[in-house]
Amino acid sequence: MITVTTKDSSKNSTTKNGTDTGGGDVRLSGISKTYGSFTAVQPLDLTVPQGSFFALLGASGCGKTTTLRMIAGLEEPSSGTVSLGEQDVTNLPPYRRPVNTVFQSYALFPHLDIFENVAFGLRRRGIKSVKKQVGDMLDLVQLGEQARKKPHQLSGGQQQRVAVARALINSPKVLLLDEPLGALDLKLRRQMQLELKRIQTEVGITFVHVTHDQEEAMTMADTVAVMNAGRVEQLGSPADLYENPRSTFVANFLGTSNLIEAEVDTRNGDEIVLRAGGGKLVLPVARCSAPTTTGGKVLVGVRPEKISLTHADEAGEIPAGRNRITGTIADSSFIGVSTQYVIDSPVCPEFEVYAQNIDRDARLVPGAEVVLHWNPAHTFGLDAAQSLLAGTVDSAGVETVGPDEGAAA
Amino acid sequence: MAPIRWLRRRLVVIAGLLTLGYLLLPNIVVTVFSFNNPKGRFNYEWQRFSTDAWTDPCGVADLCGSLSLSLQIAAWATLGATVLGTMIAFALVRYRFRARGAVNSLIFLPMAMPEVVMAASLLTLFLNLGAQLGFWTILIAHIMFCLSFVVTAVKARVMSMDPRLEQAAQDLYAGPAQTFLRVTLPIAAPGIAAGALLAFALSFDDFIITNFNAGSTVTFPMFVWGSAQRGTPVQINVIGTAMFLVAVLFVLAGMVISNRRNRQKAS
Repeated sequence: MITVTTKDSSKNSTTKNGTDTGGGDVRLSGISKTYGSFTAVQPLDLTVPQGSFFALLGASGCGKTTTLRMIAGLEEPSSGTVSLGEQDVTNLPPYRRPVNTVFQSYALFPHLDIFENVAFGLRRRGIKSVKKQVGDMLDLVQLGEQARKKPHQLSGGQQQRVAVARALINSPKVLLLDEPLGALDLKLRRQMQLELKRIQTEVGITFVHVTHDQEEAMTMADTVAVMNAGRVEQLGSPADLYENPRSTFVANFLGTSNLIEAEVDTRNGDEIVLRAGGGKLVLPVARCSAPTTTGGKVLVGVRPEKISLTHADEAGEIPAGRNRITGTIADSSFIGVSTQYVIDSPVCPEFEVYAQNIDRDARLVPGAEVVLHWNPAHTFGLDAAQSLLAGTVDSAGVETVGPDEGAAA
Repeated sequence: MAPIRWLRRRLVVIAGLLTLGYLLLPNIVVTVFSFNNPKGRFNYEWQRFSTDAWTDPCGVADLCGSLSLSLQIAAWATLGATVLGTMIAFALVRYRFRARGAVNSLIFLPMAMPEVVMAASLLTLFLNLGAQLGFWTILIAHIMFCLSFVVTAVKARVMSMDPRLEQAAQDLYAGPAQTFLRVTLPIAAPGIAAGALLAFALSFDDFIITNFNAGSTVTFPMFVWGSAQRGTPVQINVIGTAMFLVAVLFVLAGMVISNRRNRQKAS
């Protein structure tokens, strides 16, 4: 386990409790990046509060890494400014910014040993006695014994820790992490996620983490910005993004959503009644991000784990006031903690339902007639003028992009 | 059957030894004949053992002068070709510019061109320019034909270099000069060293191009060629053997250093 304490280095003030002058917020104002006719990042405003663990989440090519590199100074923005606290750093070269990066492939210097890799930043800033600081830092990442080894002699996980140590020893105002866990196997990745999260909590430095892995982003970050085609689709806490997605991309990219096309029927106070496939569904007004004119279309969404499954014979026992849809079980797969069903229903041929394996009803097998029902409070409404498939991931884990995004990317 | 099995097991070793012998036999002859005491002017027949030539390597007129000239030219040509070649290699790998593709292929022309043709053309060029043949024309010619080799060696190394390493250096407070000195150069060093060694060897023993463009200046290969017409002094073998030994020493030193490094890493 890694424990890190903040250390003072002579030139960079540390930011333990946010008492630094002017704060250490990262502010991007109207920042964009274009390469010829291709726009990698659309004009973007973003504030990362000091001391937070912030994740930029999106599929490859969505502009998240470009955004990170503009903060680091490795990419020059086509427009807009980057500020750290009160300081405008837009025109500063990377070596003058109080920012350090953990690169995707670690980018450890192959000709230097571990000690010199970690000492690199301190030495460049003219600090003579680095021995104690580097030794402490290496002990903290449990690599004290390996100090005189070359990077290629270490395992992937160890190299990753060297990369973190090499950046963190400089006590930067912001630590940028560019898919730092991408090269590790699943188990190690889970372990490093928790360790990085704890390091961040302990040192209190702002972390900006770029990843395409939604689970990783949700596990580690306080705030997640979901990016798609050079834009921030939605920004919020992991729970907020998951429960209240505001676009089909977010609904599909973070976890799985069932999306149904429905027509606005009536509006009673803070509830909207919708018609879908002959049935009626209720949607709280507060959870609808789309314009709702009577007769207009909206996309109704609900997460698979919010839905209960009841055999059609017992449909009468379902409490009133719940949203209902009837269908036939097309497929079921038992995966231990839950059973995942695919339901063929008139409103959607592949309605997904995850049921906890508490009391398994033996009649719920493929071919059985069922009623799906859920609390209307778990329903969300989206603008119907978007692709239903935006941000979906097929079973092989390959991201498929909806037609709109395909054209933009 | 037994001898066949014996042969089959050792076939690779035998083939290896034979090849090694084929490679080294000429060197052995050079070394052995450096201890000869020939009767006439020609050192082609073994007479009797003597160390006369070893104790007096400069005993032949002009030999050591030509050797020193060759070493000087080789040193300067190596320096010039390595510096220019390294810069060309970096430019070709790192930057996209107009005619990059053309430069990339043109740089190999001196390697492909028959040496004797190039030598003659160079002489024409120098004569037309009214240049005085000698040290400088030789040096210019040597830098020119060594360049391609240096570019090839360095380019291979630079191409395999991760550009993120330099970005990481910049990210860790190293300015452009520091980044180059602390990261780029050390990582490219093996390629640059290989190019430099190649350039030195090529320059030192070049005969054809040098002979055309030397005027009245005499380099070591030209001296050997010239004396071969009139008789070959044993000292030539002494110099040859000494060069061979120096090269072997370099290789051995390199091996010892890398062995020691590996052992350190293992511990």
